[in-house]
Amino acid sequence: MDERLDKALKFSNYMVTLNNQKRVIKEKFFEDLLYFNSGCQFTVTKELITFVGLLIDRGNDTDVVLTDDNDIPAKIGDLKSFYADILNTYFTAANNYHTKYEDLRKNRSVEKLVNYE
Amino acid sequence: MNKTRGVVLFARNNGRLDYVKQAVFLAKRIKEYLDLPTTVITDSFNYLQSNFDVSVFDKIIQVEYMETKNNRAFFDGSLSHKTAPFKNDMRDGVYNWSPYDETLLMDTDYIICNDLLLKCFDMQHDLMLFKESYDLADHRDHTEFEHISDYTIDFYWATVVFFRKTPENEVFFDLIRHIKQEWNHYRRLYQVESSLFRNDFAFSIAVHIMNGFAKGSFVAPLPGKHLYTTDRDVLQRLDKDSMIFLVEKKDHLGEYTMLKTEKQNVHVMNKFSLERIIDAEMKNV
Repeated sequence: MDERLDKALKFSNYMVTLNNQKRVIKEKFFEDLLYFNSGCQFTVTKELITFVGLLIDRGNDTDVVLTDDNDIPAKIGDLKSFYADILNTYFTAANNYHTKYEDLRKNRSVEKLVNYE
Repeated sequence: MNKTRGVVLFARNNGRLDYVKQAVFLAKRIKEYLDLPTTVITDSFNYLQSNFDVSVFDKIIQVEYMETKNNRAFFDGSLSHKTAPFKNDMRDGVYNWSPYDETLLMDTDYIICNDLLLKCFDMQHDLMLFKESYDLADHRDHTEFEHISDYTIDFYWATVVFFRKTPENEVFFDLIRHIKQEWNHYRRLYQVESSLFRNDFAFSIAVHIMNGFAKGSFVAPLPGKHLYTTDRDVLQRLDKDSMIFLVEKKDHLGEYTMLKTEKQNVHVMNKFSLERIIDAEMKNV
């Protein structure tokens, strides 16, 4: 095989693995963004964080009704505590995602991408 | 009064695949990650008792060993397969068999690597299934897991089912039994091409009927997504909560790409490769 093609195919194989791993860690990130409160499931998004922050800034911080991922209304008794929880959920998930992403970025072989010895 | 909670698994061997072994393996992981008791429903009680540690189970329910004509091909990677009986026709009975008020029903090839499913028990929905799924091989056509056929209803996975014992859920499981008994009628009505009875289809049809022959809120999605690899992929390594798969390459039959998951539950449809991993782990114990 032409050496140039051989090198390109090896790189192509690496890129397929890299892209697969990126998708998997992104799915893990989405899963880590799930927050559960009052029997409801909330995906912590920047929009949710901003909205809850706005409500608190305007003094609406007790018995606030929010709709969850399944459009079920949930009455949140202590919105400040809810806010702290979703911030914690978001940053824990984002930090894990960042760490895993950086690991992938640094590893330049298929074996290292999946820690396969 | 506190409601009882637990997991129920079906383990009915078919001469090719050892679902009992898979159930023992999964029950240990359920204890480790979910700290829930597991009940197994099996037609191979003597085999279970004489070959495995039965203390991993909270309860063992024996059912009669029956042959079935429901045969299908089970692949072991993209180049090898074996045809074997597909003994999937007792799932509707779980409502009556489950000793728990709140039950997680799982396939034995669903590998638990985190505690996310525990959240089901705190949620207000009495019936939860996976609707959204994610194929670890990105290139495959997954429309078969979006609708049960090209022009009909939404697809729901029966791989993991959370239910509480409610009158409505009793009606739901009775309906699944009826659909199973009249499968040829329902598969034509819902334009399912294959004559093979599949629980995913029966559950999807039952959800559609219970929702008033429409989309609706009778069933809620389980937390997270249903991650899966098909039987054309190979589970290569399992180390605590991380798994390495060989995922089939697009347009290159028999070639694979490595893929690693960490702390993610995955439905491993290649049961042969799962059993190889279980055998290796059992040897090391």
